[in-house]
Amino acid sequence: METRSFITLEDTSREELREILDLAHGFAEGRIPDVLENKTVCLAFFEASTRTAVSFELAARRSGAHVISLSEKGSAISKGESLIDTVVTLDRLGADAIVLRHQAAGAAALASRHTSAPVINAGDGCGQHPTQALLDLYALGEAIGGFGALQGHRVAIVGDVLHSRVARSVIPAFVHTGMEVALVAPLTLLPPDAGALGLPVLSSVDEAIEWDADILYMLRLQRERMTGARIPSVAEYARYYSVSRRHLEGGALVMHPGPVNRGVEISGDVVLDESSLIPDQVAAGICVRSAVLALSTGAIHRIAA
Amino acid sequence: MLGGKAPSELLVRQAHVLDPATGLDGIMDVRLSSGRIAEVGEGLGGSRELDAEGLHLFPGFVDVHAHWRTPGREDEEDIESGSAAAAAGGFTSVVMMPNTDPIVDRPVVVSGLVRRVERESRVRAHVSAALHVGLAGERLTEMRMLEQAGAFCVSDDGLGTGSAGVLRNGMLYARSAGLPVILHCEDHTLATGVVHDGVAASRTGLPGSPASAEDTATATALILAAETGAKVHITHVSTALSAALVGFFKDRADVTADTTPHHLTLTEDLVSTLEGLYRVNPPLRPNCDREGVERALRDGVLNFVATDHAPHASEEKELPIEEAAPGFLGHETAFAALYTDLVLSDRLSLRRLIQAMSCAPGQWVGGAGSLAVGAPADLTLVDLSEEWTVGRDTLASRSSNSPYLGRTLKGRVVGTIVGGEPVHDRTGAKFGARA
Repeated sequence: METRSFITLEDTSREELREILDLAHGFAEGRIPDVLENKTVCLAFFEASTRTAVSFELAARRSGAHVISLSEKGSAISKGESLIDTVVTLDRLGADAIVLRHQAAGAAALASRHTSAPVINAGDGCGQHPTQALLDLYALGEAIGGFGALQGHRVAIVGDVLHSRVARSVIPAFVHTGMEVALVAPLTLLPPDAGALGLPVLSSVDEAIEWDADILYMLRLQRERMTGARIPSVAEYARYYSVSRRHLEGGALVMHPGPVNRGVEISGDVVLDESSLIPDQVAAGICVRSAVLALSTGAIHRIAA
Repeated sequence: MLGGKAPSELLVRQAHVLDPATGLDGIMDVRLSSGRIAEVGEGLGGSRELDAEGLHLFPGFVDVHAHWRTPGREDEEDIESGSAAAAAGGFTSVVMMPNTDPIVDRPVVVSGLVRRVERESRVRAHVSAALHVGLAGERLTEMRMLEQAGAFCVSDDGLGTGSAGVLRNGMLYARSAGLPVILHCEDHTLATGVVHDGVAASRTGLPGSPASAEDTATATALILAAETGAKVHITHVSTALSAALVGFFKDRADVTADTTPHHLTLTEDLVSTLEGLYRVNPPLRPNCDREGVERALRDGVLNFVATDHAPHASEEKELPIEEAAPGFLGHETAFAALYTDLVLSDRLSLRRLIQAMSCAPGQWVGGAGSLAVGAPADLTLVDLSEEWTVGRDTLASRSSNSPYLGRTLKGRVVGTIVGGEPVHDRTGAKFGARA
C-alpha cells in the first residue's frame, strides 16, 4: 500500500486539497467504514497540546485504529529521548503512522527521513501545521457553500504571522484554493519576506474590512510576545489587531486556531458569536484528521496524481 | 500663539532674498498674505510694509533637535523661553526631544504638549515621543497611539541606542506606525567617559569616551536602517568616520543625518580649560574629526545642521567637568557661529549654510524651508554685517550655558516671521509700521 507523509501544505495543489476535503466529508457523514482497522497510529507529542492531540486520537479511534500516545508523563519523551531515537523506536514497533508535534521547525521532515511509516506533522515549531489548515478550509467551506465556493473570497490573516506555524500552513492552503489573502500585522510580527510573498500587508483590522475581507483569520498572540519587545502593549495591539463586533456588521466571518486570548485577538462577545467559526473549526478536526490518516497510511488510495 | 490672529498682510521690501530651494538670489520684495508666501518679485505693493534694505532674507531655519525641558525642568527652559530663544536664532520650526520629566512616552503626555505648544510657542514645534518606555531601551512605546496623539517622530535621544536587537524591533515598529526615528548614536559600553578620549583627556586625566562609541553605534544604526526600511535620522554626527559611514549608506537606506554648530566650530582643545561648561554628548572632538564633519556637511553627506539646544541651570554646569551635565545652548548662536567660523573663512558657502539650516531640515519635517509661493510664510531676516558679543544678557533662553559666551560673532538675526507674523523683532519695531 502506498503511504504518504503530511509535512507541509506549501506544495499541495488545489486538486489535492479538494480530494482531502471530499474524503473528510465522507467521514463526517459516516459513509466510510473502519478503514484503519488493525493499524497502529502513534501520537508523539514532544510539545504540550490539548485539542490537537485529542482530535487526532478521536480521528484514529473512530476509524478503528489502535492508538499509542507518547505524550503522557513517564513516557520516553518526558525522559529526554531524542526525536530520532523516538521515531526509530516507533518505526520498529510497527507504527503505521506517526503523528508528531515538536517544538522545532523542520522536526517532522527530519523524522520522516528515519522511518518508513508516514509522518503526519501535528505542528513543528514555527514551521507548519498542515492539518490545522485543512480543517480550517473544511470548516470555512461548510460555512459558505462548499470547497468550490471558496474561490475569490478574501481572507485577512491577522496577528503574529512571524511566529505562527498555523500561518505558514493556512497561507498556502488559502492561496492554492484560489482565495485572496492579506496579512495584517506590525512589521515586528511579520517575516522579513512578507512583501516577497506577494501578499498585501495591512495595518489594522479596520483596514482589512476596507479591503473587503470576508474572513478574518485571527492568530494567537503568545503571552511572551505581549511584554514590549515586539508590540508595546496589549492595549495598543488590541486597538489595531483585535476583531470586535463593529467589524462584523458587513457579514465577515471570524476564525481562530485556538486557544483564544479573549480581549487580545478577539473581543469576548465575538468569540462564540454567530459570525464565529471557531467551534466549527474544532469540530472539523476529527473528520479531516481521519481523512489524513486514511490517505497517509494508504488505507484509502490517494486520488490526485 | 500661532494661528490665533486674523490673517494679515506684510510686504518685506528690498531684502536680499536667498533661498536655495527655489533658486531665488537677489534684492527683491516678498509679500506675505494669510500666513503664506503670496508673491516674490520687484516693486510689489502692500498695506503693511517692512523696509528690509541691507538685510538678508532666508527661509526660516529649522532645528530638529531641541530640549525645551518641558515638562519638569521649567527652571532651565520652558516652551515660552525655548521658543523665544528659537525665534531669536531665526528658527521657525523645531522638534522637541522627549527626555523630560515625565518622559514623553505616553499618548496623554504627547497630547498635553501639543496643546501647550499651540498656546505657548512662538514658533512651530513638533513633539518627538520616546522610542522606548522610559527611554530604557526595553519596551516599545505605544507608537501608533502616540502618533494619533500628535507625535511627529520617536527618539531615545540623550541615551544611547541600546542593544541592536532592541533597536531593530524599534525601527520596524516605528515604520509600522509611520513615524521617523531620530537616533543619538552612542554605545554606552564604550562611552564611559566625560570628554573625547584623545589628547586632551590624556593630558588632563579626565575619563575619555572614544570615537568608537559613536562610530560603532552609528554603523549599527545604519545597517539596521537599511535592513528594516525605517525612516531614520542620525543626529549630532561628530566624527569623520561616522560621517563617512552615513555617506556609504546614503543610497542603501532611508537615512538622513545632521551635525551641530558646536561640532563644526569647536574642538577638544576647550577641554583643557576643565570647565564644566564644555561637557557635551557626543564630546567635542579633535580638529581632524571637526574637519571631516565640516567636509561631509559641505558635500551634503550630512544633510543639515541641528543645534541640540540643551539648556542647563548654572548649578549643573558650574562644576568640575566630570560632574557637570552635558549639553550646550544652541538656538541663538547657531547661525552666527557658523557664518563667522565657516562662511567668512570661505570653508562653507552661505548658500550651503542656508540649505543646511532651512531647506534640508525643512524638507525633513515637511512643508518648511522654502520661499515658494504658497509655502508657509516662515522666514528669517539677518544682518550679516552686525557684530555682537554673546553674553548672558543677550540670550532669550532661561539658561546661559552657551559655549560661545564672551565671543564676538558676526551676523545677527534681526527678525523672525512665522506664519506671516513677527515672533522676533530687532528691526526697530518696523514690523508694526504702516505705509
